[in-house]
Amino acid sequence: MRRIASRLNTASAEFRANAEHHRRLAAELKDKQRAARFARPQRDLERLRSQNKLSVRERLDLLLDPGTPFLELSTLAACEAYGGEVPGAACVTGIGIVSGREVLVNAGDASVKGGAWYPLTVKKTVRALDIAIENRLPVVHLCDSAGGFLPLQAELFADKYYAGRIFRNQCLLSKLGIPQVAVVLGHCTAGGAYVPALSDYNVIVRGTGAIFLAGPPLVKAATGEENTVDELGGCDMHTSVSGTADYPASSEEEAIAIARDIVGQFKRPQKTAIEWQPPEDPYYDPAELYGILPRDIKQQFDMHEVIARIVDGSRFHEYQPNYGKTLVCGYAHLWGYKIGILANNGVLFNDSALKGTHFIELCNQNKTPILFLQNITGFMVGREYERRGITKDGAKMIMAVSCSEVPKFTVMCHGSFGAGNYGMSGRAFDSRFLFSWPNHQIAVMGAEQAANTLADVKIRQLQRQGRTLTPAEIAAIREPVLAEFQRKSSAYWSTSEIWDDGVLDPPDTRPALGIALSCALNVPIGDPRYGIFRM
Amino acid sequence: MQHVFKLGEHEYQVALSRARQGYRLHLGERSIPVNLHREDDGSARLTVNGVSERVHLAVRGDEVFVHLDGASHTLRYVHPLVRLARQRHAAAEDEIRAPMPGSVVALAVQAGQSVTQGQTLLVMESMKMETTIIAPRDGVVEAVQVEKGQTFDRDALLLTLAPEKTA
Repeated sequence: MRRIASRLNTASAEFRANAEHHRRLAAELKDKQRAARFARPQRDLERLRSQNKLSVRERLDLLLDPGTPFLELSTLAACEAYGGEVPGAACVTGIGIVSGREVLVNAGDASVKGGAWYPLTVKKTVRALDIAIENRLPVVHLCDSAGGFLPLQAELFADKYYAGRIFRNQCLLSKLGIPQVAVVLGHCTAGGAYVPALSDYNVIVRGTGAIFLAGPPLVKAATGEENTVDELGGCDMHTSVSGTADYPASSEEEAIAIARDIVGQFKRPQKTAIEWQPPEDPYYDPAELYGILPRDIKQQFDMHEVIARIVDGSRFHEYQPNYGKTLVCGYAHLWGYKIGILANNGVLFNDSALKGTHFIELCNQNKTPILFLQNITGFMVGREYERRGITKDGAKMIMAVSCSEVPKFTVMCHGSFGAGNYGMSGRAFDSRFLFSWPNHQIAVMGAEQAANTLADVKIRQLQRQGRTLTPAEIAAIREPVLAEFQRKSSAYWSTSEIWDDGVLDPPDTRPALGIALSCALNVPIGDPRYGIFRM
Repeated sequence: MQHVFKLGEHEYQVALSRARQGYRLHLGERSIPVNLHREDDGSARLTVNGVSERVHLAVRGDEVFVHLDGASHTLRYVHPLVRLARQRHAAAEDEIRAPMPGSVVALAVQAGQSVTQGQTLLVMESMKMETTIIAPRDGVVEAVQVEKGQTFDRDALLLTLAPEKTA
């Protein structure tokens, strides 16, 4: 496999200006992540301490194997919601190593609103458990939640993908033979009580941990019965009388050590055998990604340069290098694992869509996982292209992506607009993992196009009423639409709404994908089968 | 895995993780590259932070004997679960309850008496079988709730130990 020959001039003014811009975006990302992880009002931290509780980050430090990576998911969930008052959506999810085994961690963060479940908390938790199901990852739940956030209950309780889905997913995991451990570090009330109850194993901390369908005040209101927390659902009652909890622990440290010992009993998975060779660092420095990405969303860049800074040895076997050149397809290795890559080098034409479809079929035939690198403004439009069947060729690509059996991974490198998002395995197409870069923008169309379209509609409406608008009036219609569109197409909006699994600093993409690939190989790869390709 | 070793009276919490070459030793916030290479003569070459030394090692149960630089050291391994369980005594251990319904055959202690872990507190009979209730830890009997011949249900309180003073 040949090394990509970079054509990048790292001494150019352009490169340096780009690098400066994207390093600043990366620094902003790190600041936001740090704040989401650690910045809390003093009184919330003091409340935890007075309750004799550790913070969720301290708990994670005790749980995870020292010196091993933790791929945190959706750190910035809810960063653009609820007035920014629910950092991380009040929970931490991620993939880490516990007792030498890859596990998915689902931890409530009681330093945010007592760990109450907001609608996005539920979405993030359900997504994490979907990841566990899709990649057969054992789960460690660190339970510490006040229960559903009542003022928003209509947006988190009843629908198909709302809170009930958490418990449904737990049952599915168990049915698939994927073990779960819950550590009860706070009160698990009402629905939350089912998290430990539906786990194969659970540990409860004496004094601070409790499990009940209704806490003492609610029981008193309902039946008049008076109870202490310990009598109603404490550690000793549940481990010695009801059998709802399994292992008593006298401290959080001991509870987490017991959970580690339990995970140590799990059978290690047999990884699906795919092509593998000893890993090699990229020949070109991944930090040069900062200088490749343009500052302007409308500006083009060469995806070969991106591939060269992600894959082993910067080596790439390009498929059909001369055909449909706006879609780069080919094979590479990532942390030793063979992968197929589809990367956008411009708008998708008929030939690029056909090439992509063919390449996805090849990857499925030879059981090679696929990485999609998105920078897409859409499929080409216009009479000429419609006559050539751009819609049916796009449909072929979407069919191949949807019916793919090999694990898919998507990285939003820059723009993602229109149906191109679908053809390149956007969120709706069940990529095992989907990550964004901080410069990423996503929408049904570009912000300016959308603002112009909406302004045009308004102008024509007013013209029919016999009014003509001054440029200032047009701007007054256009500007708010543009601002709103820009806000809702930013990477931070996207990650706030959990349209991705997290925003990555671009040089971290390689290690993140390495962990993602390793997880994906817990599942055997099925034989390919598709629907009808419109020919 | 976090391991605990005692060297003399001092406890060290350490962990080992894999590195590209050899291992890393995690000690508090520090991460130190280490490697251990076994030699043919039974000794080993220990490399810590790039500095190599010849060591002789022997392991017996939880004890590790190390000969290093002309001195010998004894490390004692403490399993994290054992250490944490010892750290804070469970409040539940203050109350000794009946494992099954039955009656008291013999009382071996009285209130105010000091007991050591494993010492017989009372003997009970249930379902034609005698069961000895022993002290879960060292301590002082605070109260005896039952009398010889008395019958009781499962989970009935039999004795209490005086709560330990936490350091």
